[in-house]
Amino acid sequence: MKYIVMECHMSYAVLLDEEGRFRKAANLHYETGETVTNPVLMQEDERKSLSPARMARRGAAAAAACLLLFLLAGGYYRSYLAPYTSILLAINPSVEMELNRQGTVVGLDGANEDGHRLLEGYSGRGKDKVTVTDELIDRAIDMGFLSEGGTVSFSIDTPDEALFQEYGLELRTEVTRHLEGRMRVVIEITSAQESGTEAPEPVAEPEPVSEPAPPAEPEPEQPQPVSEPVYGDSAYGDSGYGDDGTSDYGTGDDGDSGYGTADGGDSGYQEAAPVPQEAVQPAAPPAGTSDYGTVDGGDSGYGTADDGDSGYDGGDSGYDGGDSGYDG
Amino acid sequence: MGEEHAIVRQVDEAKADMEAADRLIREYLPFIKAETAKFLHRPPREGEDDELSIAMIAFHEAVRGYSRGRGSFLKYAAVVIRSRLVDYARREARHGGHVSLDAPAGEHDGAVGDTLQGGEDHGEEITLRDATREEIEELSRQMQAFGVSLTDVAENCPRQERTLEACRRALRFAKETEGLLEEFVRMKRLPVARLAEGSGVSRKVLERHRKYLVALLLIWTNGYEIIRGHLKQVMRGGAAK
Repeated sequence: MKYIVMECHMSYAVLLDEEGRFRKAANLHYETGETVTNPVLMQEDERKSLSPARMARRGAAAAAACLLLFLLAGGYYRSYLAPYTSILLAINPSVEMELNRQGTVVGLDGANEDGHRLLEGYSGRGKDKVTVTDELIDRAIDMGFLSEGGTVSFSIDTPDEALFQEYGLELRTEVTRHLEGRMRVVIEITSAQESGTEAPEPVAEPEPVSEPAPPAEPEPEQPQPVSEPVYGDSAYGDSGYGDDGTSDYGTGDDGDSGYGTADGGDSGYQEAAPVPQEAVQPAAPPAGTSDYGTVDGGDSGYGTADDGDSGYDGGDSGYDGGDSGYDG
Repeated sequence: MGEEHAIVRQVDEAKADMEAADRLIREYLPFIKAETAKFLHRPPREGEDDELSIAMIAFHEAVRGYSRGRGSFLKYAAVVIRSRLVDYARREARHGGHVSLDAPAGEHDGAVGDTLQGGEDHGEEITLRDATREEIEELSRQMQAFGVSLTDVAENCPRQERTLEACRRALRFAKETEGLLEEFVRMKRLPVARLAEGSGVSRKVLERHRKYLVALLLIWTNGYEIIRGHLKQVMRGGAAK
């Protein structure tokens, strides 16, 4: 490309190229009217301010990106950060766990003074609820809050019924396994949705932590086995309990499936909850709390089978009758 | 501190005004020479070293490109000058020794042999250059009547090929329309409305490049044979269309 030197200044020259462009260039000792071939052209600053149209386009793109990010963040928040379920773990120290949709702990707070003490120096964020529960139970044992025969109750508050069932079963199974061979505690699971958070439902099961334990218990405590041969019990309590019952329950073939998945069992479990609360609790003292808590009859009946459950309620009164009958 | 503010203000004023920038460069010539000397490892000789000219055009670019966010102006200018000098040194190195020999000859588009033909050719060149200069001086005078300088035109020249082609289209229409160029010279006014209507180029584009169009149209009035010969591309495009 050839250029005509149109104008010379000290610091620059104006050149005209063959296509009609006027360019500024370094004045390499040019003279006006000269034709040159290899000028050093001034690099024009192309970073001019954006046109409104381009600015609008960029703005729209930025807004879209922000919206997308927001939506993604919202989705992430909903499934990972937002508390979805809350579980009140009460040993005596009470601790409230908040879980996200994945069942991971996103918040942990002491619900009473001991609860705060239990949580001191402990961080459970990002751990699974079961892990946190096990660790808290261990801490409670270490700190002397929980000992043999104590009660661990879970009040689960979740908008999802299925989730309640799942968590309840999981916590019961896991905690049982965790304490296996160490101590026996009573595990209570309640739904905060139906009854008050406070209500420790008598759905509570005496924890047969180890299989040999329950047989051991009834024997010293209960003259029942002795009376069993006499009547009712063989049909109901002992045979169901002593061998079948425990194994069923512990290993979970009948018991677990019956409890966790079976419709009858579940609904029976849920709805039954309030009923026995009133029905059983007053009933319990006459029968003896120890009876109720540890006794096979209730346990096996409840744990093993669905119809057993409903049967349990009825059976309970029947049992009480039987008991009194027995006493008498 | 105060000096720093003063130069920033001067730079701001010089951004849109090439001649103000030229004055600024005169003022800061010692600085520019010092920066060039750092690169050459010797003081540059005015009127001899291309590097000094490169440093000056780089200073222009620095004036254009400077914004307060870039820190001290002189530091920024030093960086720009240095990088341009490096660019230039690389370019020269790439073309190697033969171009430096050929460069003067390149003006004829001929080989080295052409330049060796003797004084006759050189004299012809000088004649051509003088004739060209006369045309340019006449054009400058005519443009002055329109209030347009050659530097203005360089500032106003379309950068995009599409815009350039639109301006050429306006020129072709003006050239082919009888009486239009005469009226343009007589009235000393660009007939934007008629050009827009006749060439189909939007008024906005024509208005924006008014100074450039003034120069282009003036070149196609009488008397600028050499410049027009140089601009063969402009009308060649017209013939093709």
